[in-house]
Amino acid sequence: MSEFSNALSVSSSGLQAQSQRLRHLSENIANVDTPGYRRKTIAFHTTMMGSDTPGLVETGRVRMDQSDLARIYDPTHPMADESGNYEGSNVNLMIELADAREAQRSYEANLRMFEQTRQMGRSLFDLLRR
Amino acid sequence: MFEKLEIFQMAHAMARHAGSRHAVVAQNMANADTPGYKAQDIADFQSLMGNAARDFQMRATRPSHLNMSHSPGAPAVFDRPDAIADPNGNTVSLGSEMMHGVNAKRQHDRALAIYQSSMTILRSSFSRR
Repeated sequence: MSEFSNALSVSSSGLQAQSQRLRHLSENIANVDTPGYRRKTIAFHTTMMGSDTPGLVETGRVRMDQSDLARIYDPTHPMADESGNYEGSNVNLMIELADAREAQRSYEANLRMFEQTRQMGRSLFDLLRR
Repeated sequence: MFEKLEIFQMAHAMARHAGSRHAVVAQNMANADTPGYKAQDIADFQSLMGNAARDFQMRATRPSHLNMSHSPGAPAVFDRPDAIADPNGNTVSLGSEMMHGVNAKRQHDRALAIYQSSMTILRSSFSRR
């Protein structure tokens, strides 16, 4: 039975990590037009607490993408410099959307695993019923 | 068949194995996007049983092992050998993990079905009708 609870806790850590990732992705997408916004990225890593405990997945620190901000030409913009350019965000919508799709897929896979573990546990309990 | 109720031990071991394998698959699935993570697996139930199927006993290095009074240790976990790495060094493939998970669930169902039908046979031999 402890294997089942291990599996459940691992799956729920996966769900949590993926939803965290999706949260930052939606933040990036919402700020695609904010001047000076740098896209946020988070890294996943595995935590091993002991030899017999499973490898839970955890999200690391939030980092800012240090790539160059897009320079947009708009002399009427209040933040434009002498040459008429201002700095936009470095969010690429295509990347964010592809990342969001991947996060959703992984989330669903973890959810499927969670459900499967519960079914196995339930069929074990059904043995006690009769 | 029912002298030492080995079929129950067998079903127990099979269900246990399916549970451990399912936990490993869940771990792989959760780490499907972790950079550098290697997909893990444990050996098949068949290969753990080895040639034990002939004399219907679990294989053990010492007879004191596996007599089910104290349960056997968890099977050894190893990196899956045939996995292909992503650019970030991750070797989990969601599709094959899904398949392994379903296989583990089917093995578990099978073990429980064996247990239940043996139980039914045992019960009907006890009942007076």
